[in-house]
Amino acid sequence: MSFRSQILKGILDGVVLAVIEKEPVYGYELSKKLQKAGLSDVSEGTIYPILLRLQKKGFIRGEMRPSKSGPNRKYYFLTEEGTEELRTIVEEWGKIVGPVQKLFERRGKIDEFKTLD
Amino acid sequence: MNSKHLIELNNRKRKLLTEENERYYSDMLLYIRLQFRLSEQASEEILMELLDHLLEGQKEGKTARDIFGDDPKAYADEIIRQLPNEKIRSTVPFITGLILNLIGWFFMIRGAIIGIAKPFTDVNESFYIIPTTIIVSVIAIEIGFMVWYIFHFIKSSLFTEKEEKKWKDNLKVGGMSVVTMGLVVVIAYFLPKFGPILTITWYVSLLAGGAIWLIGRFVEKRA
Repeated sequence: MSFRSQILKGILDGVVLAVIEKEPVYGYELSKKLQKAGLSDVSEGTIYPILLRLQKKGFIRGEMRPSKSGPNRKYYFLTEEGTEELRTIVEEWGKIVGPVQKLFERRGKIDEFKTLD
Repeated sequence: MNSKHLIELNNRKRKLLTEENERYYSDMLLYIRLQFRLSEQASEEILMELLDHLLEGQKEGKTARDIFGDDPKAYADEIIRQLPNEKIRSTVPFITGLILNLIGWFFMIRGAIIGIAKPFTDVNESFYIIPTTIIVSVIAIEIGFMVWYIFHFIKSSLFTEKEEKKWKDNLKVGGMSVVTMGLVVVIAYFLPKFGPILTITWYVSLLAGGAIWLIGRFVEKRA
């Protein structure tokens, strides 16, 4: 598995919860929104096992209702537990991204020192 | 929407798929439906979502392979891993109904055969309770086994296009049917006749069978 897909795999739950928090969506809409957000390499099918797992954990719930285009679709809503989980994920993510970013930014500087030697 | 409606809707919508997508999707559908321990409602809901997604993707020129990946079995397995199990509350009445159904038919057929044969020959309306129970149980177990065996081959015939394998599988299932039926005959022949005797005249057998069958239907409906 490539580095990118490994990272994505770990954070995809959070990404999906964040999309659903904004607005209830059905599967196809969700995959379109992920693509629009720039995560086009999340293959469309992968969202369904994730949706099922998040449902099982009680973070989201599905409900059949008519879609904008007409036919019934299963829309996913964030539950209270889901909101809580998303908050935790965002917090944890921040704790990783910040320090990692700092470490990576230092790289250029170290190189500069080296060339000075 | 309950699972029955979802299945009907699925049958109608599936006709809109291209031949290639239909083959890919139908294999996945059968494979998931053959997992009997899974909640039927949850299975049908996700199957409908996948079908809706595929139909929308098809409009944009995508294939099932583009959407669900090159390995439909692995994808279906991943879905199955996340699906909830059927609640025992609805499995027990279903199986009980099935067994009552079988017993009901046994008595009805027995009653009918004796009823028809009686005017012509001298038939014995008594039977030994214990050996008969053993034989009926063996038949029930064998039916269960054959159902499992056949579904096992259906499952293994999915996601493959080898005709030769299908031909071989048919032969295996046929062979196994002969063996299981032969086993019943052998047991019936060699089983000693012992224990208490019960006499059920043909019309009592017919009526009791009908009653058991009706109860079975009722129990099954409650599932």
